[in-house]
Amino acid sequence: MSANKKYHIKTTDKSVLERWYRLMTLGRALDERAPNYLKQSIGWSYHAPYAGHDGIQLAIGQVFEKNKDFLFPYYRDMLTNLSAGLTATEIILNGISKATDPASGGRHMSNHFAKPEWNIQNVSSCTGNHALHAVGVARAIRKYRADGVAICSMGESAVSEGYVYEAINGASREQLPVIFVIQDNGYGISVPKSDQTANRKVANNFSGFKNLRLFFCNGKDVFDSMNVMSEAKEYVKSTGNPAIVHANCVRIHSHSNSDRHELYRDENERNYVAEYDPLAKFKRLLLRYKRFTAEELEDIESETKEIIKQAHREAMSAPDPEPSSVFNFVIPEPYPASKYPDGTHDFKGEPKKLIEALNETLKAEFRHNPDTYIWGQDIANKEKGGIFNVTKGMQKEFGKERVFNAPIAEDFIVGTANGMSRFSDRIRIVIEGAEFADYFWPAMEQLVDTSHDYWRSNGKFSPNITIRLASGGYIGGGLYHSQTIEGALTTFPGIRVVYPSFADDAAGLLRTSIRSRGTTVFLEPKALYNDIRAATPVPDDFEVPFGKARIRMEGDDIGMISYGNTTIFCLEAAERLRKEHGFTTRVLDLRSLNPLDEEAIMETVKKTGKILVVHEDKVFGGFGGEIAALISEKAFEYLDGPVVRVGSLFTPVGFNKILEKTILPDTDKIYRAAIDLLKY
Amino acid sequence: MEKTAIIYSFNTAKTAQAARLIYENFSDKNIEMINAEDITGEKFLQYKNLILGVPTWFDGELPNYWDEFVPELEELDLNGLRVAIFGPGDQKNYPENFVDGIGILGRLLEERGAELVGFVPADEYNFEKSLALRGDKFMGLPLDFENQASKNKERIIRWVNQLKNELY
Repeated sequence: MSANKKYHIKTTDKSVLERWYRLMTLGRALDERAPNYLKQSIGWSYHAPYAGHDGIQLAIGQVFEKNKDFLFPYYRDMLTNLSAGLTATEIILNGISKATDPASGGRHMSNHFAKPEWNIQNVSSCTGNHALHAVGVARAIRKYRADGVAICSMGESAVSEGYVYEAINGASREQLPVIFVIQDNGYGISVPKSDQTANRKVANNFSGFKNLRLFFCNGKDVFDSMNVMSEAKEYVKSTGNPAIVHANCVRIHSHSNSDRHELYRDENERNYVAEYDPLAKFKRLLLRYKRFTAEELEDIESETKEIIKQAHREAMSAPDPEPSSVFNFVIPEPYPASKYPDGTHDFKGEPKKLIEALNETLKAEFRHNPDTYIWGQDIANKEKGGIFNVTKGMQKEFGKERVFNAPIAEDFIVGTANGMSRFSDRIRIVIEGAEFADYFWPAMEQLVDTSHDYWRSNGKFSPNITIRLASGGYIGGGLYHSQTIEGALTTFPGIRVVYPSFADDAAGLLRTSIRSRGTTVFLEPKALYNDIRAATPVPDDFEVPFGKARIRMEGDDIGMISYGNTTIFCLEAAERLRKEHGFTTRVLDLRSLNPLDEEAIMETVKKTGKILVVHEDKVFGGFGGEIAALISEKAFEYLDGPVVRVGSLFTPVGFNKILEKTILPDTDKIYRAAIDLLKY
Repeated sequence: MEKTAIIYSFNTAKTAQAARLIYENFSDKNIEMINAEDITGEKFLQYKNLILGVPTWFDGELPNYWDEFVPELEELDLNGLRVAIFGPGDQKNYPENFVDGIGILGRLLEERGAELVGFVPADEYNFEKSLALRGDKFMGLPLDFENQASKNKERIIRWVNQLKNELY
């Protein structure tokens, strides 16, 4: 309970009380009406009723300031959104998935209310996933000295997610202006909170976190919630430190309309929680303390019914999304890279190693755009700049505000990049997603979510991030320092995936990635960082458009399509084919996997008739399967033999050199496969 | 005997059961039984001694009927009033907020000038935290119907005997 009595039934201005009552009756009417849309097969198939959370949700919305604060509501936050300014019509537009729904134009599930143009963020259904985004945007609020806070709202069960701990740890460590609101109704669907954590009030799990203040309130009580939320906001704004507001709520109804709480809550319990109906309590207080007459409240209730009717009519007549719109906003248009339209050059300077090209391009881009940032594990400490020193010297030149280490928490690294880019579309973020690509898996939930953002928000938010990953084997690294994970990454629409083989392409693609809106996963063949075979001259301003493959060797007898480490092997095998048999080979370096240069692939098929698809990843399930399928579907009649794939065995990569050599593809294996295919 | 009332919600089961047992163990049959759901400040001030039934709801909250009385209570002058509080609580499932309700209301009453009586030793209970704890005693009588129901009668009899000395 708050000691702060800023808001009190006896002293709060009547107009304020009236505003609250209007919002609460409107919210509850919508909350109760929502299931009817499903019953009538209109929509709103997912509805998580908020009844019982009324006090805290009213308070979150009331303390939120449009275009100043950043609000991350969760799927139960209907009243939060209304209280923050959404209209009843906008709520219904979201509920029944209309094209004019301000959250997503009908793309995202119902009950995911948002209005990105006011900084009410469109969030995932993954519970608590937006905690990292709130921390990320708070990092920007602090860096740009903006007057606002991030408010992250979630249920108490969401706090069981590891990434919520990562988020709160990050906010505590970096001292960021975030209010984490935990709406505790005692259940995660049917799971009681005793099955989630030992403390009945999960906020107490964070009592040892430095710089973090814990607030507790009765989330069913309007005044206690208002007092605590306003006190928490004042605290966060005045200290810059984060806070948790733990609000005790009740869930009067089932978790959602796909849940039946009668199956796990007895009648006594259901009556018990219904008895503490926050709206009924607020109304009793208004009458008991003679702030309103019963007639005045009835008038408000009648007006609310009219508002709902009108909102219903407006929403029902709103347009549905067009089928043809599905490909809108999958990923933003990239930087045009028009200086080098084909992504090739004839510069004749001194060859640079791939690692030098990356380092110099990063520095050049950080000089070019002051709103660029980079972080990752181990990337910035005195002379050290990452495990391979790709970022060497960057912190020295650009300072700790722009170049800094991240904790060993890959999901945090990606999630806070997503969050920080919400602050401004000008910002460009580069992250080392993990020390090695092998350790990127914990970040996959954030990557998947990031891949959805642009589409899910109907083009209103683009996470502008370049995710660098040191990838692949051939360094004797064994199972956890050899993985190349493009096979998984290329299954997600909404992110680009590039995988250069040479220094110039690495520089050009990195520049294009950093300058582009949207998210690009930039895979670096780490075995080639210092390999002289990958060194090339690199023009200072080189840029490579996405989706442009590059012919690295021209020939007619066979085509090799590759990327990353194996392009080099293809070139070596091709040279051997020429020397030993006189065959000429066209070696196509894809460079971009998504978008993919289909035209260059088809040209190669037409020119050679025999295609070897070569990559380091496993043949089974690898990206080569997609290329082979594409060729057989679109260029079958040009083939003079089967599309043959060369790649890893379907095993992990062994540590012993003998095992590694057996498992990974190499020049000799490519050569032998090419001979077999040429003989076909 | 000074005017005394037991105030509790008539819509409760456990609290009402305890209230009746308390009433029966007082020899003074002039004690009034009042429904907490109808309580007003005016009514509150009509007594010199009050025995309040205050269960703890959820994770350490007052029930609605007491909570909604608080804004009125905050303006009452309770000097000269003696109050004893009893309240159901569950020390096993709510060990972090065991009978918090007794402590929340008890402190508010003290702030307004009332004298709290009927403190009982805490060593008979097994819990982690309680707002009703003062030193090694509870600021009233905790009754655990869920885990120590068999002790309720004995505890009430003992408490009523204690109150007979402290209230009169």
